[in-house]
Amino acid sequence: MNDMSPTREERVEKLKGLGSSRKRVEDARFTQGKGNYVDDVKLPGMLHGDFVRSPYAHARVKSINIDAAMALPGVIAVLTAKDLEPLSLHWMPTLAGDKQMVLADGKVLFQGQEVAFVVAEDRYIAADACELVEVDYEELPVIVDPFEALESDTVLREDLEAGADGAHGPRKHHNHIFLWEEGEKEATEQVIDSAEVVAEEMVYYHRTHPCPLETCGSVASMDKVNGKLTLWGTFQAPHVVRTVASLLSGIEEHNIRVISPDIGGGFGNKVGVYPGYVCSIVASIVTGQPVKWIEDRMDNLMATAFARDYWMKGKISATKEGKITGLHCHVTADHGAFDACADPTKFPAGFFHICTGSYDIPVAYVGVDGVYTNKAPGGVAYRCSFRVTEAAYFIERMIEVLAMELNMDAAELRRINFIKKDQFPYQSALGWEFDSGDYHTAWDKALDAVDYAGLRKEQEERVAAFKRGETRKLLGIGLTHFTEIVGAGPVKNCDILGMGMFDSCEIRIHPTGSAVARLGTISQGQGHATTFAQILASETGIPADSITIEEGDTDTAPYGLGTYGSRSTPVAGAATAMAGRKIRAKAQMIAAYLLEVHDNDLEWDVDRFVVKGAPERFKTMAEIAYAAYNQAIPGVEPGLEAVSYYDPPNMTYPFGAYVCVMEIDVDTGEHEIRQFYALDDCGTRINPMVIEGQVHGGLTEALAIAMGQEIAYDKLGNVKTGTLMDFFLPTAWETPNYTTDFTETPSPHHPIGAKGVGESPNVGGVPAFSNAVHDAFRAFGLRQSHMPHDHWRIWKTANDLGLHG
Amino acid sequence: MSLELTDEILIPASRDVVYAALNDPEVLKECIPGCEELIKHSDTELEAKVVLKIGPVKAKFGGNVILDTGGAPETFSLTGEGSGGAAGFAKGGADVTLTEQGEETLLTYTAKAEIGGKLAQLGSRLVAGTAKKLSAKFFTNFKNKLSDEEAEAA
Repeated sequence: MNDMSPTREERVEKLKGLGSSRKRVEDARFTQGKGNYVDDVKLPGMLHGDFVRSPYAHARVKSINIDAAMALPGVIAVLTAKDLEPLSLHWMPTLAGDKQMVLADGKVLFQGQEVAFVVAEDRYIAADACELVEVDYEELPVIVDPFEALESDTVLREDLEAGADGAHGPRKHHNHIFLWEEGEKEATEQVIDSAEVVAEEMVYYHRTHPCPLETCGSVASMDKVNGKLTLWGTFQAPHVVRTVASLLSGIEEHNIRVISPDIGGGFGNKVGVYPGYVCSIVASIVTGQPVKWIEDRMDNLMATAFARDYWMKGKISATKEGKITGLHCHVTADHGAFDACADPTKFPAGFFHICTGSYDIPVAYVGVDGVYTNKAPGGVAYRCSFRVTEAAYFIERMIEVLAMELNMDAAELRRINFIKKDQFPYQSALGWEFDSGDYHTAWDKALDAVDYAGLRKEQEERVAAFKRGETRKLLGIGLTHFTEIVGAGPVKNCDILGMGMFDSCEIRIHPTGSAVARLGTISQGQGHATTFAQILASETGIPADSITIEEGDTDTAPYGLGTYGSRSTPVAGAATAMAGRKIRAKAQMIAAYLLEVHDNDLEWDVDRFVVKGAPERFKTMAEIAYAAYNQAIPGVEPGLEAVSYYDPPNMTYPFGAYVCVMEIDVDTGEHEIRQFYALDDCGTRINPMVIEGQVHGGLTEALAIAMGQEIAYDKLGNVKTGTLMDFFLPTAWETPNYTTDFTETPSPHHPIGAKGVGESPNVGGVPAFSNAVHDAFRAFGLRQSHMPHDHWRIWKTANDLGLHG
Repeated sequence: MSLELTDEILIPASRDVVYAALNDPEVLKECIPGCEELIKHSDTELEAKVVLKIGPVKAKFGGNVILDTGGAPETFSLTGEGSGGAAGFAKGGADVTLTEQGEETLLTYTAKAEIGGKLAQLGSRLVAGTAKKLSAKFFTNFKNKLSDEEAEAA
């Protein structure tokens, strides 16, 4: 039956494919409190687990007495390392080639470390029992400074063989983890030594934490009758968890089902495997009942994967005219007590290579020394794309410092050093090939939108007025042009624990024309159910509203490496497009059969195949779908489904231009964001509304990080910011309005030209806010002031610069 | 986490009376907020069990205190450490000076402590504020106790 009325425009609109600001299908359940999170999982006979945690940052565990805890009614078991040892589970491998304790084995190495796991009938009894467990500690010297760690006689990791190599090569000290290097060391040093102008600075990106609204947790249910383990959890990579769980437990993968239900924010905090997951599995096997573990906020901030903590010493050289000639960077990376930094195996410092930024730098060198300290393990988290946030902050600060050294406008310095559009694909001095970019267009658009020249003039007048004593407020203009690297990644050099970083999509079209598609990724709020259906709608002509997207159940979803580092769109999005094209290819054959023409006589038009030259003769996808189940077509199998596993040929390189205009009160240290303009180029834009939401969210995280949020330790190793009283999470009160804008430079190697955007606003936002603070004090000589720029630190900066009279 | 408290209180009693009271385990047990047990093992060693509530953290702390009475009754100091199990631990000390002011005594003290564990994670604001309050309560109790005794004696 041929339909008559809709115009082409109407058909495109009905599809809600690429480019449509389709409303998110997830939001109905999230806004009505009808989501299904791990803590919503309730099973008959389910027990609850909680941890006894170390108050000390470094101590020997002399003894653990569980008698009083076990005597409490409702307590079923108390597990310690001794109980896990026969199963070889008292330690587990990390996603960085190291190993970490599941429960304290002889000593504890960071405050909050798990010492014993109490299993009880309810959460409250478990908490009470935790306080009854008596642990005898013997304090050891605490190291919270990575530089001190590399000089100290105190051995943190007594489990590692002295003198032996680590997972990434030789260790030069008992508290050293690895040295990773890239680029040309000697050539770079030579260029810098003989340069006309050199700017040198230590840029510190402080330790913070993603603090997702939902904390981590799991429910493990071992069915002894069927021999199957089901594990619900806050997992950003459910398939990897299944493989790891199989390797650790000895249960074959086909007998393990891992389910990531709705996840209330991941941000990299939920990539790694935590002792809580392992203990809930063991407890379920031991007790024969389901066991739930849900951490509270203090547990989350103290003991789960932190972000950043990179001391980056930079040297940048340039000609007198401002053309950059070389970049040298040495990083001291504070990894905490265990290296649980979830990076691809070959890259212990992630993709820090991107520290050359948006600039055409002919020669560069970077060396990263990873160090153990008495702090929680982790490192790669918080929209960092594997250390890209650190790299972008580094180069955007170095550019500002170089501009001061050259006495040159920082916007102009950037412009004359940008990689030019015709230089792409661009081979960077540190190894990666940037796919596409048009930095000059983005930069000009951004500076124009904020009237940059006008702002500089206003700033000049403000400095004069300040010096005359007419005002106590300074104006800062924070500039950033970032290039980032996402979409991990090509299997030949990107793997997590040996699993190549491809991703997948499997689609099945139903007889009546709707479809279900399953992916190897897992949304934690990014809106995959909305956006991936849009990709399929454009590829297959089935309206997005008629496509269900499923993720997270390893029994049904094809193997994937999960969602983090903005990899879903570049990798799984590509797989989705390719699977959609396979569907369309088969659909073409079916249409040709139905229309009695040759395959090549047909052309694709939005949602149908049309006979070339005879537009009244066509078959819609709905008709083709039915035919796939209804017709006996020679040479064509019945049904209509396809699967694609996609190995990306390269990473993708989104970029952006951000400008932050900030007012600072030098007497109170308070700030006010007058304006924040963010231009993002993520290639093809699947859903503009979703992109804007991502940018708003990432910018707000960036605001938090730059302006007050931190995980701070005192010299005893106490976490000083372990609750939301001290850990800054912006509310509506602190959050400014954002102006978002875009350019669109597609990726030449991606099937739909999309690059991914989730990480970008955090990558570009932090330097924009931080540069604004620095810029406000530039006229008074400030070169570098470490983040976070909370009121006290800003006040102190003003004081140190003599601005308090 | 480092804590420092310093204060001075005028106590309506002679220095010798004040000094004796500060060394009397019965007086101390009555005046220390939340004190459940105070045992004097010797002239210089004390052991105490105190229930403390600081914000959401409530715990029973067991501690040992050593007195250095070398400069008594003008000055003396004490050092100690305590553990509250899951709630955390503390160690520190205080220097106390007693100055005669007519029939009254001016008591000045400077106390320094290192705090660790859950208590420290609550942040110095909460802990310092509560420590000040508890300290003030102790000295109010102490003053009142001595005033009552003076009144009884009179």
